Amino acid sequence: MPAQEQEAIFRRWLDEHIGLMYKVVRGCAAAPQDQDDLFQEVLLQIWSSIPAFRGEAKETTWIYRVAWNTALVWRRGERRRRQGQETFIRLSPSAHAQASPAESTSELELVERLYAAIRQLPKVDASLALMHLDGLSYQEMAVVLGISENYIGVKLNRIRKQLADQLKGANDEL
Amino acid sequence: MNFEDLQKAWQSHDTGAKVTINADVLLKEVRRNQQHFWLGIFWRDVREVGVAAFMTWLFLHWAVRDREWSMYLLSLACFGVGTFMLADRWFQRRKRPVRSDSVRSCVEASLIEVNHQIWLLRNVFWWYLLPIQIGLGALICSVVWQARHARLTVIMGLMGYTLFCGLICWGIYKLNQFTVRKSLEPRRQQLEGLLTSLK
Repeated sequence: MPAQEQEAIFRRWLDEHIGLMYKVVRGCAAAPQDQDDLFQEVLLQIWSSIPAFRGEAKETTWIYRVAWNTALVWRRGERRRRQGQETFIRLSPSAHAQASPAESTSELELVERLYAAIRQLPKVDASLALMHLDGLSYQEMAVVLGISENYIGVKLNRIRKQLADQLKGANDEL
Repeated sequence: MNFEDLQKAWQSHDTGAKVTINADVLLKEVRRNQQHFWLGIFWRDVREVGVAAFMTWLFLHWAVRDREWSMYLLSLACFGVGTFMLADRWFQRRKRPVRSDSVRSCVEASLIEVNHQIWLLRNVFWWYLLPIQIGLGALICSVVWQARHARLTVIMGLMGYTLFCGLICWGIYKLNQFTVRKSLEPRRQQLEGLLTSLK
């Protein structure tokens, strides 16, 4: 694949799917420094994966796969600091505290609590919870994870209960 | 609040506003990273296989020059170690995990890779240390055999040398086992845990 084409796809994915990537990162890492490291790693892996992208899979499915494959084997504190690396990501420190104009404070709090609850789950369950919240179908989740749709259904039932327990007080029913 | 409301709140949560990316710097960095990755692999190959190739040539040169059979053996040992490293790398390269595969395939491939690394380091004695030691042992025997007039002095010197080589080998072996315990075993456990949760 020509470098220009790879760059164009990468820039477009950044524009369109940055939120998706960030959600995966926040679902796995809590500390800003860890988020920053994991995010950089995810972006680097996504860039490297582009030449293999043939358009057979949906872009979001592809990005989920790369992001989760990177996040699941990423270990906290294992930083790949490269000498002389320039910072290309700025994660707003106020991300946890300020709601965007469209959001209410209570919604933001709820989302923050959800992230915290997701991070408490085992990593594979966290990935399922996040994709489920993002509205992916069972089939799409099965493609990303490589497991059967039936198994996903069973797992999601359990995950919903776990999340409900952790978010008790905020939700009456889940 | 039910799950659908939760989902709605989640999906309307605007994450993009909190992330600022300098795309030009990022692109520069990903290119640099890729170059760094390939250069890293290249120099690792040069270091490991190159040293073995150089030692093979050096011992072969001495063997021909001095008509010393034990040098041939040492040269052969170095050649064997280098060839093993090269072949192993070539076979393993094809099994490397692909990040765009499904999570399960990627975890399985990572686990195979880690298991292989553990196997290599656990058996470093057999494929690395022993062949070299056999070659060195043959050289020592040959030197002792040839130094009939000052055998005691030579034997004392060679005993010291053997002890030194033994200590080096023991150090290499221990270092490898430490790497397995400290780094690879936890990695394997983590991957096995992930795989279990995917089955």
